Amino acid sequence: MTLFLRRTLPLLLTFLFGVAFAVQYYIPHPVSEGALTEISIWLRIILGFAMILGIASLCQVHYAKIRTRVAGWGYSLVVYFSMLITVAVGLWARGQETGTGLGWIYTYTLLALQGTMFSILGFFVASAAFRAFRARSKEATVLLVAAILMMFGRVPLGEYLVPAAGPLAGWLLNVLNLAARRGIIIGISLGGIATSIKIIFGIERSYLGGRE
Amino acid sequence: MRELAGKLLRLDRRAIFVLIALATLIPLLYPVGLPIRVSPEVRRVFDHIESLPAGSVFLLSLDFDPASKPELYPMAVALLNHAFRRDLRVVTMTLWVSGTGMAEKVVSGVASEYGKRRGLDYAFLGYSPGGANVIINMGQDLNAAFPADHYGERTADLPVLRGIRSLRQVNYVVSLAAGTPGVESWYVYGKEKYGFELGGGVTAVIAPGLYPFLDTGQINGLIGGLRGAAEYETLIGMKGKGMAGMDAQSATHFIIIGLILLCNLFYVVAPGTVVRSFDGPQDGPGPSTGLRTGSPQEGQR
Amino acid sequence: MATSVLIGAWVAAGLTLFMFSFLYKDNPFFRFGEHLYVGVSMGYTIVRIHYDVMMKSLYGPVAQEGKWWLLVPALLGLLVLTRFIPKVSWLSRISFAVIVGFGSGVAIPRIISSNILQQVQGTLKPLLNAGSSRFGMAELNALLILTGVLTVLVYFFFSIEHKGAIKIAARIGVYFLMVYFGAAFGYTVMARMSLVIGRFDDLILFASRDYAYASVVLLILVTLGLLLWERGSTGLTTGGQRRTQTPPA
Repeated sequence: MTLFLRRTLPLLLTFLFGVAFAVQYYIPHPVSEGALTEISIWLRIILGFAMILGIASLCQVHYAKIRTRVAGWGYSLVVYFSMLITVAVGLWARGQETGTGLGWIYTYTLLALQGTMFSILGFFVASAAFRAFRARSKEATVLLVAAILMMFGRVPLGEYLVPAAGPLAGWLLNVLNLAARRGIIIGISLGGIATSIKIIFGIERSYLGGRE
Repeated sequence: MRELAGKLLRLDRRAIFVLIALATLIPLLYPVGLPIRVSPEVRRVFDHIESLPAGSVFLLSLDFDPASKPELYPMAVALLNHAFRRDLRVVTMTLWVSGTGMAEKVVSGVASEYGKRRGLDYAFLGYSPGGANVIINMGQDLNAAFPADHYGERTADLPVLRGIRSLRQVNYVVSLAAGTPGVESWYVYGKEKYGFELGGGVTAVIAPGLYPFLDTGQINGLIGGLRGAAEYETLIGMKGKGMAGMDAQSATHFIIIGLILLCNLFYVVAPGTVVRSFDGPQDGPGPSTGLRTGSPQEGQR
Repeated sequence: MATSVLIGAWVAAGLTLFMFSFLYKDNPFFRFGEHLYVGVSMGYTIVRIHYDVMMKSLYGPVAQEGKWWLLVPALLGLLVLTRFIPKVSWLSRISFAVIVGFGSGVAIPRIISSNILQQVQGTLKPLLNAGSSRFGMAELNALLILTGVLTVLVYFFFSIEHKGAIKIAARIGVYFLMVYFGAAFGYTVMARMSLVIGRFDDLILFASRDYAYASVVLLILVTLGLLLWERGSTGLTTGGQRRTQTPPA
């Protein structure tokens, strides 16, 4: 019984849900459409709970740092304090941003911090381009030329200096880039479908976790 | 010459950082305002909105977070300006949790400029978890996917949503996306079955990857990056953040092209130069928080 | 200008500079900003889950509309959280089975249609339509696209040995891929530079008189802070070396 609950039931549920909703696409009967509506509502709720999983696991990481007093554990306190303050202010504001403390925290801290965090990469891209972007082989030369054409042809100064640069970059995007990307999309999709079928038929079980 | 090339290749990366900072700062302070050519893919989004009669339903999904604000926020401003000018019924939402506050701000801000009333002329449905699943849910029953809007009003009672039971009644959807869930999710799980017209506005990182879908008509137009936002601003005759940033964009691109060419020249002059990996700060931010990215559902930026 | 906006501008400018200080080197200002970002981000997500999932999608429909059956997905949601309790963590498998099963099921037909059939159709249709007309630029582009798609697929076909004609096709595929990667790199540069422009734009705004020159004042303060920190850490290192060189009394 335990084995059934621990292993067979999850595999059976995956199979049933997988087959039912793959077939449902081809049979848009009111009953099957009703089932799709209802289960998609269910999934939104379950996935909402699943988001807590990610947050809880981050809390665990920082709690462990504070508990073991590893180097820089004070920063983990910053994580906890800022999280608790944001939650308290958010609940006080009833989840509304306009003219509330939550909106203030969002606009002046989260926007600034997250925006800058990713903008730093811009500087590193420039540095990497200087150090590593070399035409070592024929393939690398093609990559380099395509990149330069794109950077040149998709900005106003490039188009102003060489009017043909814009249309050339457009052609590159609409023909050569499109062809390669389409090949990748078809390849990835075939792989994705194969994985989905393996999951539905219980061949791929890693999502269950553990060894059982 | 050989020694000089070797030295320059081993230059502290902070010198390059300063160069990029100056190339950004100077054009922002002293803009030139070079003309911006509008590409056909951006024009198609504009033309489609122009072709919609007043009162048509336009759904704008702001599927991004603060990390992509500089690229997608100007796009949202431009599209909302266009939609409100055309007197469309504007329905907005987000599939990215940390983008909710930003989406609310841009929608209510632009709406107030046009004197549009919440619930009557426009709606902000807010955030719902599940990505692609939310799109399926909306395609089946919009009120079930969003029982209440962001402000807690029952969606079934909102006049702006009168007659809209699902995505099938929506005339045009544009997803402004920084990754997954985004444009790709909207056509695979939405347009494919529910048949609405779909346009895309994306960060420059993902724009080249969407051209196959533009070619097949799965998306009818594509606005890519800050450049795309600037093109859309040109079309609607608005001087926004997109156009303001184009001179700096030109300058930084030319600096990087110059750096790449110099790099190759130096390697020709001084072959075999070894560049140390860590001669400045480490390779990227975010070493110790346990979270390198902001959004739990982020796929690509 | 409201005081809250002025204070907000100073906070935003300060935090932006804290994050940019990483460009000099990893330092306590950056680390503080980084951890603050994680904490605020988590807190904001919790608030949104509470209002957008628990209240809007669950409490409202169950308590106000009597949709009691939505307690079943709520239970399945709670089972997800058993992952943290080793003894009963297997219960979470039931929820994951539903999530993964439904996800796989809905994905298969939609991906076949969107990403395979329509893409194949998009590749072949221009060539089939071109039959009657003269061979022009459109036809050349269609032929290039077909060649690119086929050769890239051949390159990815790992189960066949790349010899003879297959090898040539795979080589051509690699060149198409290089163009795609080049375009992707060019656009990535564009994206990253746009982010830098966006942040600089805010700093310039906060440097104005309206915001009491927040960016300028804070830039000086952060630079001074970094100098002090650098001196402090250099002093510590030197002190440490001296101690090791001094024999115990």
